[in-house]
Amino acid sequence: MTNNTDMEHHSEISHNRYNVLIEFAHIHLEFQRPELESVLSLHDIAIGRDCIEVPLPSSIPTVENYRPFLILSFDYHYAKEKFNLDDDGYVIQSDMSRFSKIDRTKPTIASVLSRCTLIRSAIELWGAGPSFDSCVEHARQLSSGCAGRITLENCMKLSSSWKITIHTLGTKFNREEQNDMRMKFAFFNLPGKVQMVNPTNEFLLIREVELDPKGTPLSQERDNFLSPPLAVYYGRVLGGIRDWRGNGRLDQFSLKKRSYLGPTSMDAELSLIMTNLGLVRNGSFCFDPFVGTGSILLTCGLRGGYCVGTDIDIRVLRGRSDEENVLSNFKQFRLNRPDLIRSDNALYHRHYRMNKPIYDVIVTDPPYGIRAGARKSGTKEEKIRAIPEDRRHDHIAQTKVYPVSDVMGDLLDVSARTLVMGGRLVYIIPSMRDFDVEKDLPNHECLEIAHVCYQPLQTELGRRVVVMKKVKEYDPSLRESYLSSVWINGPESAEKCANIRERLLEAAKLKPGYEEKAAYRKKRRQITREEKKKQRAKHV
Amino acid sequence: MRLLTHNYLQSTVKGTEKGYPLKIEATTIEYEESPFDAEFVRSLIPKIDYSTVLIGIQQISDKLEESNNIQGITIPDLPESIENEDLQEDLLKKLHTVLFDIHVVEGDLVCPDTGRRFNIKKGIPNMILHADEI
Repeated sequence: MTNNTDMEHHSEISHNRYNVLIEFAHIHLEFQRPELESVLSLHDIAIGRDCIEVPLPSSIPTVENYRPFLILSFDYHYAKEKFNLDDDGYVIQSDMSRFSKIDRTKPTIASVLSRCTLIRSAIELWGAGPSFDSCVEHARQLSSGCAGRITLENCMKLSSSWKITIHTLGTKFNREEQNDMRMKFAFFNLPGKVQMVNPTNEFLLIREVELDPKGTPLSQERDNFLSPPLAVYYGRVLGGIRDWRGNGRLDQFSLKKRSYLGPTSMDAELSLIMTNLGLVRNGSFCFDPFVGTGSILLTCGLRGGYCVGTDIDIRVLRGRSDEENVLSNFKQFRLNRPDLIRSDNALYHRHYRMNKPIYDVIVTDPPYGIRAGARKSGTKEEKIRAIPEDRRHDHIAQTKVYPVSDVMGDLLDVSARTLVMGGRLVYIIPSMRDFDVEKDLPNHECLEIAHVCYQPLQTELGRRVVVMKKVKEYDPSLRESYLSSVWINGPESAEKCANIRERLLEAAKLKPGYEEKAAYRKKRRQITREEKKKQRAKHV
Repeated sequence: MRLLTHNYLQSTVKGTEKGYPLKIEATTIEYEESPFDAEFVRSLIPKIDYSTVLIGIQQISDKLEESNNIQGITIPDLPESIENEDLQEDLLKKLHTVLFDIHVVEGDLVCPDTGRRFNIKKGIPNMILHADEI
């Protein structure tokens, strides 16, 4: 029901539609849109189909650098049907519920968007423009559009307390200047009193400036007039608080406190993003074939998934003690215990009878030899000796090295076989910057790539999170054929990830100061060894 | 190990003709209630082998009786078949208890064909095959 003949003076942001400005954190840039799209799809919302992305206003014709903002524009009636637009106060839901009945009441936009780890906040956009004055002008037009009119009317009805917060990045305005800016919006004549501490409604006036790749303002000018804004936005804060990070929802800080952490534990933020990309929700059947210390599986559990984890290494599964293991992590967060099995993913079809696909999500950080080497069943020896019956229980079956190309091939094949149609596989692959996403990633006829997101770790090394969807039914008789077509460029592509440790070492050796650093590290290791010896001597 | 997991485990040791379902010889059984989700249980039904569920629950029941069921775990009565059964919430709740809330913490899974034992310790079954069994 858009009225296209409406005149919008300074921007294409129509007041006939319900507009939301999203502010992202300035990290994990490549993950932001895929995460947002994934979380929206959990509510059956697709950008392009159910809402549109409106270009940001800009005072500069072409902005090279990344802008941590996005405007989603909804048809008002759609928004009213889909969401609870009242959104007053603190309504961010913690998704700590598990297996609970599906909440049929309409969610608020904040509760939908706050699931995105990378979104800092969202505002109901009342005005926007490439300059302060154009933003004010645009805001004045709010009630000229059907959506804007209703929005304003709703605000006028409640005599709730309110305040305006000014969010300016890189520029400082004194109190007088700030009040001047606030007064420019006084024409709204909102009832209710201004309350600086915990008002019901918070309005946000954002002065956006251009940022450099690290997220700091490009211009170091002290004089505000010499560094004009890129855009100015004004709107009502959704979810009751201006910055969602760490507030009342699943956040990495509490995850960092979990009792069992190992060298390969996924950093909490990434596992939160991965479970969003995998569309984990209440009742999702989740599987991690390389569960290790269970950090990713834990996040699945926190999002309400039923969790299964397997690993070939019994030591990680059992953990360090009864108080420090995968199960204790789940217990710490009051989740039901996951099902853990010691098995070999290379022999998945041998251990498990899969007549029907069962998993909704497979999310994992496969072993690549950087932190934990990959192993599979079997022996290096030529002659295979049978183990006498009485020794079988305690016998630690020999394992041999499992080449990365096979790790990935098996992972994709197991996923293709055990995922339900439309189910998602989310995995991490370390890669150097020079990695051909088209040709070097593993393929499977039954799976389609949905997203590939790169996270730089060091100058040359980074992680890619790959999201695949099951699009075709698996035919067990074609297993050999599937496995032989995993690598377009041959298994050498896999080796690009496998030998990263060596490549890192080579790259580091070429850097200046390497010798000194290596000597220093050697000395430290010696010291630590001597300390440990002393400790052991004490206990004897 | 839950009965849901047991439903999928098999032995394919070299030379085994029929390694499914594995016989449950439990030494320690625990009960832990979990939140019930009817939709989730309903979605599982086409994915499990119901007769295996019945066999598994029988084996666990027998063990509980033997040890006088000190913890007082009640195993719900399940129908012989759920093919044409009307999947009412009552039945789904029973199925939920059987599949999710009963845990075999210590014991063995035994291959019905060869007798090969897979140990369960601290709730984790060890399915790793030895080199000569692959």
